Amino acid sequence: MTGTAHDGFVIETRGLSKRYGRKIAIDCLDIAIPAGSIHAIVGANGAGKSTLFRILLGFLPATAGEARILGRDSRYLTPSDRERIGFVNEEHTLPGWMTVAEVTAMQRRHYARWSQPAFDEVIGHYNVEATQKVGQLSRGERAGFNLALSLAQRPELLVLDEPTLGLDVVAKRAFLETLMHSNAAEGCTVIYCSHQMEEVERVADNLIILERGALRNMSSPDEFRSRVSHWVADIPFRGPDPRLVPGLLDEQRIDGVYHYLVLDQGEAFVEFLRACGARDVHRLPVSLDRAINGFLSRQHAVPAAA
Amino acid sequence: MRDIFKAEWLRYRLWVLAFAVVHLLLLAFFNRLTDLGQQPLNVYRAFAGAYSAIGALLGLHQMGTWRRPNQWINLLHRPVGPRRIALGLLAAGAAAMALAVLLPVLALLAWQAWGTTRVAETRHVLLAAAAFLVAICGYLTGAYAMLADRRHAGAGLVLIAWIAVAQASGAGAVLIQGIACAWLLIMVLIAFRPDLGESPRSPVAMAFTAITVQVGVYLLLVLAGFVGELGWIMQGTHPANMSHPPAGGHVETDRLSPRDRMLAGLAQASGTEVPLWREQVALSEVYPLERQRRAVPERGDLGNAAAVEFDDRVRRVHWTFNHERMRFEGVSLADGTRRGERGIGAKDDAFPAVATPGGPLPGMGKDDVTLIAGNSLYQYRAATGDIVPRILLPQREWILGSTPVGGSLALLGDRAVYVFDARHLGDGDAPVHARYRIPMPGKAGDLADVDMVELVDGYLVSFTFTWRAYDMRGATPYQTVLWVNDAGAVVPVATRTLHQDFPAFYRYRKWWASPVMYTLCTRAKHLFSAPDPLEAYATPPIPDDIRALAAALALVVACVGAWIAWRRVHGLSSRIAWTLACAIVGLPALVSLMLLVPRREAFVGDSANTRPVT
Repeated sequence: MTGTAHDGFVIETRGLSKRYGRKIAIDCLDIAIPAGSIHAIVGANGAGKSTLFRILLGFLPATAGEARILGRDSRYLTPSDRERIGFVNEEHTLPGWMTVAEVTAMQRRHYARWSQPAFDEVIGHYNVEATQKVGQLSRGERAGFNLALSLAQRPELLVLDEPTLGLDVVAKRAFLETLMHSNAAEGCTVIYCSHQMEEVERVADNLIILERGALRNMSSPDEFRSRVSHWVADIPFRGPDPRLVPGLLDEQRIDGVYHYLVLDQGEAFVEFLRACGARDVHRLPVSLDRAINGFLSRQHAVPAAA
Repeated sequence: MRDIFKAEWLRYRLWVLAFAVVHLLLLAFFNRLTDLGQQPLNVYRAFAGAYSAIGALLGLHQMGTWRRPNQWINLLHRPVGPRRIALGLLAAGAAAMALAVLLPVLALLAWQAWGTTRVAETRHVLLAAAAFLVAICGYLTGAYAMLADRRHAGAGLVLIAWIAVAQASGAGAVLIQGIACAWLLIMVLIAFRPDLGESPRSPVAMAFTAITVQVGVYLLLVLAGFVGELGWIMQGTHPANMSHPPAGGHVETDRLSPRDRMLAGLAQASGTEVPLWREQVALSEVYPLERQRRAVPERGDLGNAAAVEFDDRVRRVHWTFNHERMRFEGVSLADGTRRGERGIGAKDDAFPAVATPGGPLPGMGKDDVTLIAGNSLYQYRAATGDIVPRILLPQREWILGSTPVGGSLALLGDRAVYVFDARHLGDGDAPVHARYRIPMPGKAGDLADVDMVELVDGYLVSFTFTWRAYDMRGATPYQTVLWVNDAGAVVPVATRTLHQDFPAFYRYRKWWASPVMYTLCTRAKHLFSAPDPLEAYATPPIPDDIRALAAALALVVACVGAWIAWRRVHGLSSRIAWTLACAIVGLPALVSLMLLVPRREAFVGDSANTRPVT
């Protein structure tokens, strides 16, 4: 148990599992997230993202396995460990009865490494008055204020758990711009959890996909997107049995043309389609959003009519 | 911690201030209607209940809002230890209780002391402290209920129950409230941790929580017994509620008229005079001696066990006993001005014990009042406005009541019945001496009825000891008839053993359910309290079959406890400790084990999700 990042990893889990009764939230998760850059964690609802953060921050005991954050066993985080870890959740839970100045003063006294310039820089992007009550701030302003507080702590690791949830387009853009271009975020490892794929595509250097509590992917977003391909095939008769389609993530028939979203399929897939009677086959570019959605929805039950 | 306190105080300050104002107005209103400093214990209990509930609401709201997952992370994920954060929040809660509860009570007390002519004494300051501590206990109980796992979230109520039943008075009662607060504070600090609802990690914390939960479980078991008793009553076979109670039992004896009870006592008696006595009893009036006291008022009591005030209707003065001065203080009924203080005799000496009004003496003036203080009975003479001693019992005896019996006065003490000549009492104002002293053939706590009949050559006195016959503390019920002759010699006439109407299984239910918990709860109840002479019982030894039942139950519980401990608890020493706890404490320990140590979550080895990382 040490207080520094172990082997350069800010987060490490080994065989980490968490059950709620019969439900598996985290399933033997082995993950090691290196220090530096922005790591995005994506997954459908119930994938175990929030549970993972709670275990990592010591707010939930694991059923089995171990979790370390900044090299420290999550169960034994000390106040000085917590000082090095910033956390922003989707609700931006701040004391609504206090003014911005009062909350700022309190945080300043709590965090020894507090950076007032960093706070001023970030809060400068928002129209927030020091005398305003936190409860009177709009959701976007509260998110910005929360981000400013977290970055001013100068954390080594900043965990953002769906921070833009419920924000309008303008507030969301402002939040992301601040995160990406603020000097305060430099030198800080960011774990960014979101359902918004365009955000992930924009901010993430590393893409981590969780599904049903298990790790499904860890690579750069471009690398992941390159693994997913979208094929359009004109098959005059009935298409192949989906169970026989290699790497199938999603299948659709639009205007009599078959669309296949597949994983890890190269040119050999063209031959497969032609063997199934395709007269014309061509490949379309895939957005990260489409790739991740296809990847995550392959196991999901869908309505019979879909 | 200071920042957390300040932040939390900002959150509640306006609400607390508003409550304090309303509270102060209510107290002022009630104090206009009556003297709030001289209320019976039950009135203060009602206030304590209200303060405790207010505190609990604050604790529930405060911790209830913080314990939501994201709020909780936001609160605790900072470079401040959980304990310091907890102390900051709790200090804010305590400050809120001080402003909302303590300050209005102190303001009322100040008004009482300097704005009225009513009696204000140190015990009233203790009363203010008690109000504050009870509110804090309620607050901490509410906080614990929100922070702890829901299976034992109500454990804090154990400490509230302790305060409610504790026998200590005055500073002792406040001390108990302080201990309860400290205990609850430790419980809250144990529960206040990032991973809410998890079992305490350290053995000490686990033991601390487990003991509280075990007492709570024990009290619930006792309560379950009471619920079962309600079913017994509904069934119509409960001895105390049967229209025809079991013959020869103590319930039947208690329901008899004094004459029939006396005759029942004489039924088995033998002797030449007995037939004649039976005839005399059938023809004469049999007097039940009144027991006007079931509790002894103590100096410095927070509440009044009995009224400590009376009115002089001639002089229009209201006299109230002052515990500090041990004298009565007078206030004019006409204009509310002070009318000095009144003690014993011409020098207004202090009373030896707290004085309370008693029953009338034969020949006493119609506006006179008797006052009972410990072993002495005094007469307040309205004509002269002074207090004179009339009856003095031996030291360390307590007067429980007085009843005119023909031309005599029978005085019931905790150790004997005394008979005085009514003419002597009526003739002068000097202390009178008893004609007869009839020692009580039992303990005062067991005494249910004393019946007396005047004979040609003395008195027959029947003592019935059945007061706690339904409970394991009470003596095996019996009735004894004594004859005191003209010369004052006391002669036993007959003793009748009464049938136990309640089976031993029922009477000893609090004991066999957990002998250890019974002892612990009994001692906790009497902690810091002086031995009460009126609660002296001739408790019989515990029957062997009940001991065997308790032992068998402990054995079964130990076996089940060991099995559960081996399945749920990590570490050999912890398993052994739990098994021993089950064997020693019994059922409460077993239930606490199941509540505090949940089933282990199954290891995820059977997961269907076995695809490799891609």
